[in-house]
Amino acid sequence: MAHPDYLTDLASTVFENLESQHDWTLLESHTHKQSSLPESSKTLLPRPLLTGLPPKRLYLHPDDQVELVKTHATYTVDETPEMEWVVPMHLNEQFTLKQLAEVFDSLEMPEPLAEGRCKRLLMAIVHDDSTVVYYFVHDGIVKPRQN
Amino acid sequence: MTSSSPRPHVRISKAANRYLVFDIDDVMYLRRNHNICSVFVGTMPQAPQQSAFMGLPIELMAEEAQVLVEKNVAFVVDDSNYHPARIAAAGPQDRQYLDAVKTVTSDAQRSMREQTEARKAMYANKGTTPAAATTTKNSPVTREAPEAWMATLTTSGALLTPSPGQDEQLASVDVPASYPLYAHLQDKGYFMMPGLRFGCDYNVYPGDPLRFHSHFQATGFQWNEDINLLDLVTGGRLGTNVKKSFLIGGRVESEEQHKDNTDATRDVRAFSIEWAAM
Repeated sequence: MAHPDYLTDLASTVFENLESQHDWTLLESHTHKQSSLPESSKTLLPRPLLTGLPPKRLYLHPDDQVELVKTHATYTVDETPEMEWVVPMHLNEQFTLKQLAEVFDSLEMPEPLAEGRCKRLLMAIVHDDSTVVYYFVHDGIVKPRQN
Repeated sequence: MTSSSPRPHVRISKAANRYLVFDIDDVMYLRRNHNICSVFVGTMPQAPQQSAFMGLPIELMAEEAQVLVEKNVAFVVDDSNYHPARIAAAGPQDRQYLDAVKTVTSDAQRSMREQTEARKAMYANKGTTPAAATTTKNSPVTREAPEAWMATLTTSGALLTPSPGQDEQLASVDVPASYPLYAHLQDKGYFMMPGLRFGCDYNVYPGDPLRFHSHFQATGFQWNEDINLLDLVTGGRLGTNVKKSFLIGGRVESEEQHKDNTDATRDVRAFSIEWAAM
């Protein structure tokens, strides 16, 4: 079992974009769910996914932001980036809520989420001229960041 | 508000596929207790072309009307059927009320006429005693049919609409496909306003819109409906520019579950989208 070629190619495009344009490190691509099973019997992910570490923190929950403003520590967060999940997509694709839910359900978080927080991923949308735009998608109703 | 006596149901008039609430008490009740503010659409009778600072009635979205019906705090009446039926079926109580209005009106007209005549008489016979002018007051006056209703009665009890009887036919509400998302957000205590301003189905406020900016622009989708990525990019980009999240969501349809599951607030899954600024 493997993903169709266009999905694999899409993933490698985004991989290179993150590595070369955005200076991400520890990039990995994932095709199957993490498990100790042999390669042949692992479950295939709904789509190929990437993980990586951005050079600085990409997302700060508004509640954390408020706490940090109180302690005047807003600049220290930049220095502690978090691993992000990335789902590569092409602009001409269509998706459904069901597919999005399946992608979220297949994500395994390394550590349990804090109270009231949801999973998030970065949706990387690729266009033919190799433009890639990134959007955060949260698995739930998450209030917007204050900026 | 004391909870000792149950509040009468809110009456929603359905006229030309619009859902209207005319009672200011109902409007305040909905805003305080059911996070529904909706849009004022009424003009002053003297200024029918008014387009700002509108007043009663408020026009509810179909989703709002449906949510209130499902919460059992309101009922929807089709006004185009209701009015003719009620006029045709006027009972003795209503006739009594109309007669009372006519009596009070004609009395008022009579006393006005008497005053005018007395004044005329006073000007005509200057020099005569005012007692002469007042004699007309006691003269018998023939009662005429009133030209117009000039009187305001102290009670309007007879005009009050009774709560829906069992025989009364209630109008149905045609909700759009995004209803499950609306009901879900409404259940969580958010205030929703029409989404025209930000190109979505609903603007979602975390509290009363007079106190808060909206947090989300929400658009409902079917569970298996194709969504163009460009729509998502457009919504996400616009939302970030106006400090909002773009919220998409819909009712989860799993294989074992039947489509006629009526509880719309359950089983809704929503996703918030923000530009990642990279």
